[in-house]
Formats: sequence, C-alpha cells, structure tokens
Amino acid sequence: MSQTVIPRLAIKGLTKTFGGVRALDSADLTLLPGEVHGLLGTNGSGKSTLIKVLSGFHAPDEGTLEIDGRPVALPMPLGRSEAHGLAFVHQNLGLLPEATVLENLIAGDHERLNPWRINWRAEAERARKLFAEHHLKLSPQQVVADLSPVQRAQLAIVRAADRVQEHRSHGVPGILVLDEPTPFLPQEDVRELFAMIRRLTARGVSIVFVSHDIDEVLEVTDRSTVLRDGKVIGTYETAATNRADLVEAIVGRAVAADRRVLALSPAAPIAEVRGLSGEILKDVALSVQPGEILGLTGLIGAGHDEVPMLIAGARAASAGELSLNGRTYDLNQMAPADSIAAGIALIPADRQTAGIAPDLSLTENAVLPLLRGSLAINHRRNRRTTADVMRKFSVKASSPDQPAAELSGGNQQKLVLGKWLQLEPRLVLLDEPTQGIDVGARQEIYDHLLALCAAGGAVICATSEFEQLEIIAHRVLVFDRGRIKAELKGADVTKAAIAKACYEVAEEHA
Amino acid sequence: MHKSDLSYQLERFGLVIVWLAFIALFGALRPDTFLTWSNFSTIFGSEAVLVIVTLGLMIPLTAGDFDLSIAQIVTLVSMTIAILDARMDLPLVLVLPLGLALGALIGLINGAITLYFRVHSLIVTLGVGTFLHGITLWIGNSQTISGVSPILMEWVIIQRVLGVPIAFYYAIGLAILIWYMLSYTAFGQQLLFTGRGREVGRLTGVAVDRVRLVAFVLSGILGAFAGILYTGTTGSANPSSGTFLLLPAFAAAFLGSTCIRPGRFNPWGSVIAVYFLVTGINGLSVLGFRTFVQDLFYGGALVLAVMISQLVSGRKDRGL
Repeated sequence: MSQTVIPRLAIKGLTKTFGGVRALDSADLTLLPGEVHGLLGTNGSGKSTLIKVLSGFHAPDEGTLEIDGRPVALPMPLGRSEAHGLAFVHQNLGLLPEATVLENLIAGDHERLNPWRINWRAEAERARKLFAEHHLKLSPQQVVADLSPVQRAQLAIVRAADRVQEHRSHGVPGILVLDEPTPFLPQEDVRELFAMIRRLTARGVSIVFVSHDIDEVLEVTDRSTVLRDGKVIGTYETAATNRADLVEAIVGRAVAADRRVLALSPAAPIAEVRGLSGEILKDVALSVQPGEILGLTGLIGAGHDEVPMLIAGARAASAGELSLNGRTYDLNQMAPADSIAAGIALIPADRQTAGIAPDLSLTENAVLPLLRGSLAINHRRNRRTTADVMRKFSVKASSPDQPAAELSGGNQQKLVLGKWLQLEPRLVLLDEPTQGIDVGARQEIYDHLLALCAAGGAVICATSEFEQLEIIAHRVLVFDRGRIKAELKGADVTKAAIAKACYEVAEEHA
Repeated sequence: MHKSDLSYQLERFGLVIVWLAFIALFGALRPDTFLTWSNFSTIFGSEAVLVIVTLGLMIPLTAGDFDLSIAQIVTLVSMTIAILDARMDLPLVLVLPLGLALGALIGLINGAITLYFRVHSLIVTLGVGTFLHGITLWIGNSQTISGVSPILMEWVIIQRVLGVPIAFYYAIGLAILIWYMLSYTAFGQQLLFTGRGREVGRLTGVAVDRVRLVAFVLSGILGAFAGILYTGTTGSANPSSGTFLLLPAFAAAFLGSTCIRPGRFNPWGSVIAVYFLVTGINGLSVLGFRTFVQDLFYGGALVLAVMISQLVSGRKDRGL
C-alpha cells in the first residue's frame, strides 16, 4: 500500500465527553481500501463510542471524518451512513427471528425497493445469486429462527455488504463495521465467518473488526488500532506484532486505584455453589466466606454475569446447588421468594425494569419486600421506614412519596440498595452495580458494601469494570466461555492483572 | 399523595368539578325534570351494575391485563340465574352462589389460558367473551327470560335507603372493599407491581402469575355479581344486555384513572367517572338529544381519558 492511496475512512481528532468523562480523546483512525482493521480495547476504552459516532448515534464534541477523501459533516444524521457506503453489523445482528431470510435481507432497503410493489420472485432470485456469490448455504424462504448462529451472523453480514455493495451512490466497494460478531460462536464457525470476511475484502470491501479476542484479531486483520481510556494507543501492522504487545497496549501500565479492602483471614465459607450451569455457564463451583467481596468478571459472553441471576433464582439454572447457612438449595428449582427467605438479595443490572418501578413512589418501591401478606398496611410507618432508608443511604429526593422515576440513576440505585440491605441479607449479589452512576454515588455504594462485609455479610459482584474490582474485591474469578479460568487474590487484584487475566484466558483457545 | 399545591388538587378533583358543572348546567336548563331527586335516585340505582363492572375491570387493568369478557360474564350469569330460578324453580340461596361460582370459573379460565399459553389477555378475553355470548344465546334460546323471583328484585331495586335503591349501596360497599384492598393490603401492592413493575415485583418475591390469576378471578366474580344485580333490576335476563356495558366500563375505568389518584386505576375515580358519564347522557337526553349521544359520549370519553392520562404521564417524563 503506497503513500498515495486515499484512505476509505479517515477519522481525525475525534473527542466525545459524557458528563465530564472523556470517552474519546482526539482519536484518529485510518481505514485503507480492502483491509480488515481490528479495533481493540477494554470495556470503556472508547470502542463503542467511536462506532456510535460513525453510525450517527452520538454527536462528537470535536473531530473530522473523511470518506474516500471527501469530508463528511458530523454528526452523521441517523440512517445516513449507508448513503456514505458505511454499514454496521452489531453483536445482536439486528435480525427479526420470526421473519424469513428474504424478508430480513430486504428489510429497510429503501434505496432499491419500490415501496408500492415488491417483486418477491425477483427478490428471491436476487437473494439466491447473492448467497451463491458469497458461498452461503442460505435459502430465501427459511425462517431466521431456524438458522444456526453462524448462519445468522453470515446473513447479517451479507445484508450489510449488500446494502453498500458497489457503494451504490459512488461506485466503489462499501465499508463494513463488524462490532463483536463472534463471542457466541464456536471456533469452527468463527473460521467460516473469517473466510467470508476475506472473500469480501478480496472484492475490495474494507472492514472495521471490533473484538476483544486478540487471537481472532491476529488471525483476520491486516492492521489493528488499540484504544485505552478514549485515546488511541497505537495502530499496528498485524504481521509485525504479537499477542504480548497487543495485551500490553490494551491493558497498559494502569495507575493503581485506591484499594479499599483489608486483608481477610481465611474462614469457613458462608455460601458454596456447586455444579452451576446456565445458558453460558458450565459446571461452575465457587464459594464466598463471611466478610468477603468476591468479584466475578470476564469479557463479553464469558458468563460471569449469569451467576447472580442464577443464585438468586431470578432465572432457573439448568443445574446447580447452593449451600447457605447449612441448608442446601437446588438452583434449578429456586424462585426469588425462596432466595429472599434464605437471606439472599439481588441488585440487578437493569435498574429501569428490574430494580425499580419508575411510576411508583419511593415508599412503594422500598417497602415491597416488607409487606409479606399484610392486611392492614400502615402507610405512616412505611413512609417513616422509607425516610430512614433514604437517610441511611443518602437518597436525595424531596419526599418518600415522589415517583422513583424522578430520581437520578445514582439515587435510584442507592434506593434499590437500601430496599435490599434493610432486610439484613447474608449474601448480596450484584450485577453491574454502578452502571451509569456518578462517581460520588459509586463511592457511597462501595461504602455500604464494605460496611455490610464488616458486619459479617458476603458479597458477590459481577462486573466488567476492572477498576471497581480493584477497589472493592478481596478476590476475583475470571470467567471465559462459561468456566472459571483464573483466580486473583489480595494484592494481585489490580485493574491491570484482571485485564491481563481476561485476555490471557482468551488465548487458550488458539 | 401529600402534595398540597393547587394544581395537583385541581387535577385530583377536576372530574368532580366538571361533573358538578354538568349538573348545574342541565339543572339550569331543565330544573323541573333533570334536577329532581327521583331522576337522581334512578340514575344512582340503575347504574350500580355499571359501577360494579367498572370496579371488576379495574382489577386486571391494575395488574396490566384486560378483561374484555366481563360484560359477557354479566350476561351469562344473569341468564343462568334467571333460568335456574324462573325455569327450574331452584331457591335463590342456591342459585346466587352458583352464579358467583360461574363468574369465578370463567375468570379462572381467562387467567389460565393467558398465563399458561402466554397469550395477551386482550385476545384471550375477546374470544372468551364472544364464546360466552354464544352460550348465553344458546341456553336462553336467544330470548329474554322473565319471571325471576320477586325476592331478588326486592333486595336489588325495590328496597330503598334515603330514596336510593339498595343496589347503589352494594356498589358503594364493593368500592370500599376494593379501595381497602388496593390501598391497605399487600395484595393491592402486589397487583400494582405486577402491572407497573412486573420484573421488580417478581425479583422481590411477588408470585406475579398467581396475582394475575387472582385478578381475573376477582373480575369474574364482580362480573357475576353485576349479572345478579342486573337480573334483580329488571326481574328478567336479556341475552344482549351486557353487550352495552363493556365500552362504558372501559371509559369509566380510564376516565377514573385521571382523577382522585391520577395515574392509577382507582375505585373512587371509577365511581365518579361512571356517574359523570351517566349524568351527561341523562342530561343530554332530558334536553331532547336522542340515543346517539350515548355512543358519542362514551366513545369520546374513553379516547379523551387515555389522552389526558398520557398527557399527565408525559408531563412527568419531561419533569425528569
């Protein structure tokens, strides 16, 4: 590739700030014709912000974009990216499972279709030709729900490629952005997908390949750009780099966070889980001792986030047993009411639908678990109880009668925490407890968790925020594809070590 | 709840104010026919059935489900007890509990199909309701069955307290019971969470499926009770009677959710909404408008009510 080549995509100085945090800090990215360009980085490195700026979802604070040497005004209006020859395949693929392959293929192809009359026969013929060109064994009349996961991924990619094929408006091949298309695919299927990607680049298509899997990036890309804390750390020729360099670039020499946990003397576990299997988890065993905060983490699709849901009975495990306080529970049969009775509390990740009922008042939200079968609710007492919770957990609100929707995310989460901790649970399970929460509220939530542990309770916290674990976890289990692959303890619990363990774990698949 | 600012109080009692304004308007125009105690006592007594149907409807609505079959439960139970009493000469002490049990059974069927097959209750109860209407026509041979024991009429419409038929007091009694249930029992809160925060409720140990099932059974029982009162009001059962109850009940339930406790289905709001709607129709017909005003009024009120409640919640969203 000579110096005179005009890049397909040139991003310069892209900056985006969310509430004082720089998600992107003057990031540059250049995509050459016909190349597969890897985009690497941990959670919060700025990968997704960059993609969302390209798709028009976020408006950048600063920065320029050029496509094929022509400047493109930012923010990109939503839905306009295809006209610039830019198409996206997100992790969820964006397919409608109940519809047929053909219906999914042409959905939203406004540029080409006559909205008043769809010639289904001609469209089916066109689809067959398209699938043959890409060596895909797909039939237009198949229902997407009946396809294998890799076939769905192929369909989503071929649809995106088709949309920008011949770059309809400019007469040049399109640009595809593949955002984590592989984490739920088995190895042999990933190979099949890569073969498809190479055939696309052979036709001149340029691809941005977003992934957390270094091996995949080494295998399929020509160059890779690594982001960390919103900054571009570097762009590397794949052939001239190796796994260790990339891991180092991704993880960096992180500044140590302010670790807030004290050493713990070994004790008998308060809770033990054996043989836990779910949608991703396979035969996992773990235990936690009184006063301990156990962190669970992993990359996307690792399954660590399934653990709290399954232990709390929020979803039925396909198998598994929990021992708590000398009693044994079958996690296949556990219901939320059973786990509450056992002294377990779950703080779910999805605050808006699983944490609080936004329409209902703070009091109604806070006292629901206290009501049991009451036939004479004492509203005055409940309001007092709620006021206590609000004071203890510093929930800022004008009154206990305010609808929960009117609170900020941090205050909502403190309310959820208060609702559960007032029951004095023995085991608290958290899933991404600080998502979308400001720094101050985070610290307060940590304070409460540490206080709970000081009082002899135990905490299991699933999160993909490594820094959080460095601050509050005594011990961290790193998951990969449904299994525990590493354990970090005490002083080894650092952001860098966790990130390293996550990425090294992924290497074992090579 | 404890907001005391004027606009909130106006919102709470807006419907009451409009109702009083209607009464004043019609009273001024037709003081001799409209503004008489006999006119009002007739309204209060005869619309007790509609009040009870509205109260019944409100329970599954609170839990996030629709019961479109409730009006046909009214008709079927009305027809069944008329046949059992007038044709088969069974005693009322047997017939009335059977009627209530029939309503409960239909509620159970609605709930079981909705929950077991995970179908939307709107579709299930639409089908069940039409099916029930078929049964009503079948068992009653598409005819009005009369000759029901006068004791039933005695205890529904003939007995009066302060000049108002006793049926009105039954409706008020039920409104008190339901108000207490929704406001002061754990079950009421569970209904509310099942409707407004189902996943939160489930994770807090609320057996949301059981709550929804009970809600259907309660609306079935209330529909059956309304059916008994209907038979008692006229002394007969008419196979198409309930058909005209569904829309007014929906209109009243949604209109009721814009007052007293704005944003929630609530029994006092429902009672006020029923009498507001009926007063409007009664007044317009006293003024000489013909029967089409019923459809204009009920239909218009339903649409208006959902628009208002959307505006109310939209304003809250913007307040974030």
